[in-house]
Amino acid sequence: MYTSDEPTRDGRASADADVEPTDDAATDPPTGAHGDPDATRAATTRDGDGKGDGGAADGDADPVVAVRDVRKTYDLGGTVEALAGVSLTLPAGSYTAVMGPSGSGKSTLLNLVGALDTPTSGTVEVAGRDVAAVEEADRAALRGTEIGFVFQTFNLMPRLDAVENVALPLVFAGWDRDRRRERARDLLDRVGLGERYDHRPTELSGGQRQRVSIARALAPDPAVILADEPTGNVDTGTGAGIMRLLADVNDRGTTVLLVSHSRRIAGHADRIVHLRDGLVESIESIESGESGDGSAGDAAADTSGATSDDPTRGTAAGESDEPAAGGGDA
Amino acid sequence: MEPRETLRIATRSVRSHKLRSTLTVLGVVIGIASVVTVATFGASVQADVVSEVESSSANNVYLLATPDADGDGDGPGGFSGALQPVFTTRDVEQLRAIEGVQRVLPRGNVPVSSLSYRDDTVARTQVTATTPGAISADAVVEGRAFRAGANEVVVNEAALRAFEANLSVGDELTITRGSGEATTVEVVGVVSRTAGQLPFAGFSGQPRFFLPVDPFYRTAVESPALGVNQAAYPQLTVVADPARVASTKDRVRTYLETGSDAAELKPSSFALTAQTSGDFVDRIEEIITRITRFVTGIAVISLIVGAVGIANIMLVSVTERTREIGIMKAVGARNRDVIQLFLAEAGLLGVLGAIAGLPIGIAAAYGATIYAEVGFTPAPTWFAIAVGVGVLVGLVAGLYPAWRAARVDPIDALRYE
Repeated sequence: MYTSDEPTRDGRASADADVEPTDDAATDPPTGAHGDPDATRAATTRDGDGKGDGGAADGDADPVVAVRDVRKTYDLGGTVEALAGVSLTLPAGSYTAVMGPSGSGKSTLLNLVGALDTPTSGTVEVAGRDVAAVEEADRAALRGTEIGFVFQTFNLMPRLDAVENVALPLVFAGWDRDRRRERARDLLDRVGLGERYDHRPTELSGGQRQRVSIARALAPDPAVILADEPTGNVDTGTGAGIMRLLADVNDRGTTVLLVSHSRRIAGHADRIVHLRDGLVESIESIESGESGDGSAGDAAADTSGATSDDPTRGTAAGESDEPAAGGGDA
Repeated sequence: MEPRETLRIATRSVRSHKLRSTLTVLGVVIGIASVVTVATFGASVQADVVSEVESSSANNVYLLATPDADGDGDGPGGFSGALQPVFTTRDVEQLRAIEGVQRVLPRGNVPVSSLSYRDDTVARTQVTATTPGAISADAVVEGRAFRAGANEVVVNEAALRAFEANLSVGDELTITRGSGEATTVEVVGVVSRTAGQLPFAGFSGQPRFFLPVDPFYRTAVESPALGVNQAAYPQLTVVADPARVASTKDRVRTYLETGSDAAELKPSSFALTAQTSGDFVDRIEEIITRITRFVTGIAVISLIVGAVGIANIMLVSVTERTREIGIMKAVGARNRDVIQLFLAEAGLLGVLGAIAGLPIGIAAAYGATIYAEVGFTPAPTWFAIAVGVGVLVGLVAGLYPAWRAARVDPIDALRYE
């Protein structure tokens, strides 16, 4: 389903997908604004707007990620419940932020959605596949093809240059060398690092490293990008650029799950899932321009139309057994 | 992932730690080089010895009475034991009649007290006596073979320098027997060897003198079969039909065991042996092979040390690169890929060690053969084994580290600073 090399996904209108990389698109609010009239989409409102002009209404869109009543406990000399029954769906093309204090279960949730871990109970489906039901090798393949990680600490391979770093997921996915290098160069061009193909991470600035990391996350054309505090290790100005880039990625149709403890950063998303003590505390929809600090707010506005979430699904574990909700399980 | 990419990444890892990789490889180099050196040197010595032995006629069957295997522990059929004169003239004649036997050459020692040339006298306890047939034409370096019944002597080249004045063909020697009886003999020839000379007997550069059995050999015993005194020899050399050496040897052995005077005359703790030079070669080869294996085994220890070095450095590498492993796993590397990567790296270290160790080992073996004055015989099988073992050592040493790498938990690894 998400195997196309073309980054634009689904049926989103080319008019929207036609955004320029980075700054231009992100700073141009009208480009992506679909005029979603719901200034404040209440958490309980089932928003049918979905993809806006893409026409992908909730009803027909398979969620890219479906987390159902997930519990995760760790045995650390006493059972610690990191997640105590969380449900969450990420519709295709959505941009969701997860916020919460330390110990709220953000990282655990991210690890589960990233198929790095399996839940103690409940199910996590990524791109239609239950991550707990497959072999470790298949889980690795799932990570390599359907999930793109963007880490706070970049996590680039120190001995590989930019092109090789970006191409790394494709190595494990079995692409041949020429194709993956071409793909890596295209992506580096797209994130504005066309001049830095053969630079190693140590020869790049923090912002540039994070761009390489985003390009790497995009390399296999994943179903979802997981960004864990992507601006945590860069200065504010650079961070804004990173957030614009993520917004652009989302504009092009890639589902994004952002984890941050910063309200300002999380505000770039279409909605914010607040976690506390392993439970979803609330889900908040972000309005265009709501987070008003300059470009960051623009980016949020730019992508607001891509939201097609079903907030109720995440609010309580009790509701997660409603398979038809939002058509997410179809 | 494709093997080429695996190799590329492994190569890069190895090259990124040049000193460390070099030292690790050095361990393998030393191991492989020692194995190759020892094995090649062993093979060279063996080939040299064998060629030396085989140059003496392969169709000679040596008959000896030697201490039994379960006797004084002098070894089975050893040719250093006290030689007993057990083969009578009757035995010689009987053996000549056996099918496939071309000639029977008796050989014995004449006890003497000294040899004199001009004014110089050298003490000597015995001189070898044999028949003219034992001196083949191609063994004669100068002059000719002695004739039966004549007071003549042939010598080897070392004997020409045994006296103060150089001896040469045509000179006269005085032989003083143990009894004090002196006989003057003429040096009629110089020979390089005589048939019936046991393998290795020609190795030493000792002066040797050969007299005709007739008239010099006087050791005699009573033939049990005939009841008369006859000349008896401690050693006979049966020259067999080259096409039928084995069968002739069997018939000779049968005669020795069943009807010979020798069987009667030999002390009970002695055994009669009939051996061809091939038998000697086999035994010598066996001994050298054993020694070579033993020393090679010791050399293998250094190879094991090299393997431990690889395992050690790979474990360090896994720990150091925990984060990288986590990254790779996060972007889709399966456990298999991680194992493959680390095995490739360890294998590469082994291969590099083998590639560098092989020529060093060959060179060292070559040097050793020159030093030991034996011909250099490369042992390609051992070369292949050494390289194979090098790769294997790398892979085996890399197994555990690679397994550890594959078990790295990506969640922990990504948090790893």
